[in-house]
Amino acid sequence: MFFYVLYCNLNEIVIYYTYQNHIDIDTILFALFTVIEFTFFCGYYYYAIQTRIIKIILPIILGIFVIFAFIDFFLINQMNNFDSFTAGLESIIIILLCIYYLVVQIKGSNSLFVYSSSNFWIIITFLIYLSGTFFLYIMTENMARSKSFQHQYVVINSVFNVLKNILLSIAMLMKSTPTNIQKPKVKGWEDDLHTLKLKK
Amino acid sequence: MFFLQTPDNSFSVTNVLIFGTLGMFVMAITLVSVVVFHQRRVIRFNKQLQKMEEEKQQMLLKASINFQEEERQRIAADLHDDAGPLLATARLYLNENLIHQETAVQLQSIFSAKQIIDDSIQLIRNISHSLMPPTLKNFGLESAMKDLFEKINGSGVINASARFHDNRERLREDQELLVFRVLQELVTNIIKHSCAGFIHLTQNVQGNFSYFRIHHDGKGILQEEFEKLNYASGGLGLKNIESRIKVLNGSISFEIDSTQTYYKVTIEVPREPGK
Repeated sequence: MFFYVLYCNLNEIVIYYTYQNHIDIDTILFALFTVIEFTFFCGYYYYAIQTRIIKIILPIILGIFVIFAFIDFFLINQMNNFDSFTAGLESIIIILLCIYYLVVQIKGSNSLFVYSSSNFWIIITFLIYLSGTFFLYIMTENMARSKSFQHQYVVINSVFNVLKNILLSIAMLMKSTPTNIQKPKVKGWEDDLHTLKLKK
Repeated sequence: MFFLQTPDNSFSVTNVLIFGTLGMFVMAITLVSVVVFHQRRVIRFNKQLQKMEEEKQQMLLKASINFQEEERQRIAADLHDDAGPLLATARLYLNENLIHQETAVQLQSIFSAKQIIDDSIQLIRNISHSLMPPTLKNFGLESAMKDLFEKINGSGVINASARFHDNRERLREDQELLVFRVLQELVTNIIKHSCAGFIHLTQNVQGNFSYFRIHHDGKGILQEEFEKLNYASGGLGLKNIESRIKVLNGSISFEIDSTQTYYKVTIEVPREPGK
C-alpha cells in the first residue's frame, strides 16, 4: 500500500514536471499508471476477497484489461492522447468490484464492524476516488486542449488525490484486518476454556 | 462522448463534469454509508439476540439449581419428617428397660419395632425410587413409562397409554433418565392443567434420532406460548424441560393437530445407544 501511494505521488510529480518542461511523455505515464493501478488493485482484491469466483475471474479480467489498454494506447490513440477509454473501463470495473466487496460485507455474518478492517478503507478509497474522477478521466481525451478544463482537471484530480491519500493513510494505520479470535482474558491461560490448561 | 468535442459548449461540459463528479461522489458516499449503517444495525441486532440467549441460559441455570435445591429439600424433609420419627419410635420400643420387662411385653415391643423398621425401609425405598425409578434402570424407558401410566390409569380419571414402535436398542442410561424426567414432567403438567381425558405416548426412530410424541385431548400449549412461559420468571417445570432437552442436544415442539382437536408435544433426541 505504501509503495502504491509513493508511486501515485511520484507519478503526479513527474507528470507535472514533464508538463511544465514540455516533455511529451505524459500520455505514456498516464497509460502506464492506469495499467499499474489496475494491476495493483486486482492483486490486492485477489487476497482481500477469498471467494472462488473472484480467484477465477480476476486474472481473466486483468488479462483482458491489459490487452485492451495496449490496443487503446498503441492502435486507437496511437500514443498521442490521454487513454480515456482505458481509464473509464478501469473505473467501471473497479467500482463494480468495490460494490461486490460491500455486498459480501453486508451478506457476511461478521461480528466485527466493517470499518475496523483495513480492507474496507482501501476498498472505499478506490470506490470514492474512481467515482469522483470517472467523469474527469473519460472527458480528458477530448477536452485536454481546453484551458478551463485543464484548470478543472487539476482541481478535481488534486482534491480526489488528497482524499485518496487520507483514506489510504487511515487504512495503513489500521495495521491489518482483525479477526474474530479473542485473546484469553487471563494471562497465561489457554484460549480454549474447556481445557483450562496453564501455559508452562 | 462526441458531444463534448464542440469547443463552444464549454459551459455545458463544465456542468457535466461538475455534476457528474459530484453525483458519482455522492453515490459512492451514500453506498458506503448504507453498508456501514446496515452492518451496524445487524451487529446491534445480533448482540441483542446474544444477550437474550445469555439471559435465557442464565434463567435455565437458575431453574436447574433451584430444582436441585428443591429436590434436596424434599428429600431432607422426607427423611427428617418421616424416617426420623419412625426410627426414633423404633428406638423407644427397644430401649434399655426392655430387658427388665416381661417376655410378652418384650415380644410385643420387638414386633412393633420390627413393623416400624419395615415402614422405614419402605419409606427409604420410596425416596430412592423417586430419585431413580428401578423399572427405568432395570427394564428401560418403555417399561418405566408403562409403569407410570398404569399408576395414572389406576386413578380412573384419565386414560394413559404408550406405544413404543422401535425400542430394540435402549438409549444411554443418562439419556433415558433425562427423557423419562421430561416425559414425566409433561404428563404431570397435562394432568394438572389440561383437563385431558386421555394421554397417548408414541415412540419411533428415524435415522439417528428417537422421537417421543405425547397426544392429549385437553387444553394444551403451543410453541409460542412455551417460549413465553419459559421466559416468565415463575414456574420451574418448563424451564427444567428446556434445560434437560438442551443437555440431550435435542429439541421439543408444541403443536396442535390439523383438526384442532389434539395437542401434541414432540421430543427429538439424538440416538446414543447404551452399552
